[in-house]
Amino acid sequence: MAKTILAVDDSSSLRQMVAFSLKAAGYQVVEAVDGQDGLDKAKNQVVDLVLTDQNMPRMDGLSLIKHLRGLPEYQKVPILMLTTESSDEMKSKGRAAGANGWLVKPFDPQRLIEVVKKVIG
Amino acid sequence: MRKKILGSHVKRLLSGVSAHGRRHLTEVETDLLQTELLLEEAVEKLTSSFMAIHSAVGARQETIDRLVAAGTLSGEDAAALAGMSGEIGTHVNTAITSMQFQDMTSQLIERTLKRVTGLREFLGTLDEHGADIGHDTGSDEIVERLGKVSMALAIQSLELRSVLRKSVEQRHLESGDIELF
Repeated sequence: MAKTILAVDDSSSLRQMVAFSLKAAGYQVVEAVDGQDGLDKAKNQVVDLVLTDQNMPRMDGLSLIKHLRGLPEYQKVPILMLTTESSDEMKSKGRAAGANGWLVKPFDPQRLIEVVKKVIG
Repeated sequence: MRKKILGSHVKRLLSGVSAHGRRHLTEVETDLLQTELLLEEAVEKLTSSFMAIHSAVGARQETIDRLVAAGTLSGEDAAALAGMSGEIGTHVNTAITSMQFQDMTSQLIERTLKRVTGLREFLGTLDEHGADIGHDTGSDEIVERLGKVSMALAIQSLELRSVLRKSVEQRHLESGDIELF
């Protein structure tokens, strides 16, 4: 059975590119338009991996991670940040919040898939 | 007489800078919003065309695969087609990376629009303080009021800087770093 990835990004074009790349590699993708939407969808369906942006309206990526890590079913689920943010300070915050990795945009589909495979197979 | 001239000149200067500045900022804001809309439409159309092209190429590839499996094509032609598939794949990856421009440009435009709003508030401060200066305001009082304007602008500038953290440092559309913790 295909693994499911929750892709959270407020940019519609970015979400489409992420979904396109992941689906082409055989993953199922659930899309969310911001952190709050991501949290709601994550509660509805436990996914195998969360890929989230940082700067979004309503709830940002770091807050989403903190909320998810507070849920028993998401304590071990890998969470990767996919964001334009590239500072060491932000990466440290991500790590402290419970992120398992940091990918700086723009992403290359092949490299994205390699990382996803490494993390969830 | 000199006091009156100074007061009225300072007042006119402050209100003039404010009025002209605000008019130009409105133009900047309009142009930025228009740019944002055009970029949004561009990426929507590019994405839609990209998906359609990819779907068509995929369907064609299936046909080619069937022809290769049936032995209809010469070994040379089959190898050439396989090479083309690899080349298409490379271009698809590059296109996906490049089409992420709008995510970055929209963040940069949003930051610039916030700065425009901040600058408009600066100009409002100038106008407000200028309104307090009358024709008969003495030069000492004018100096004091100008000092207050400088102070207010410095505070506003600090406040603006605190909400304008730069989240996009990228200068090229090349894939970014990856770090697993």
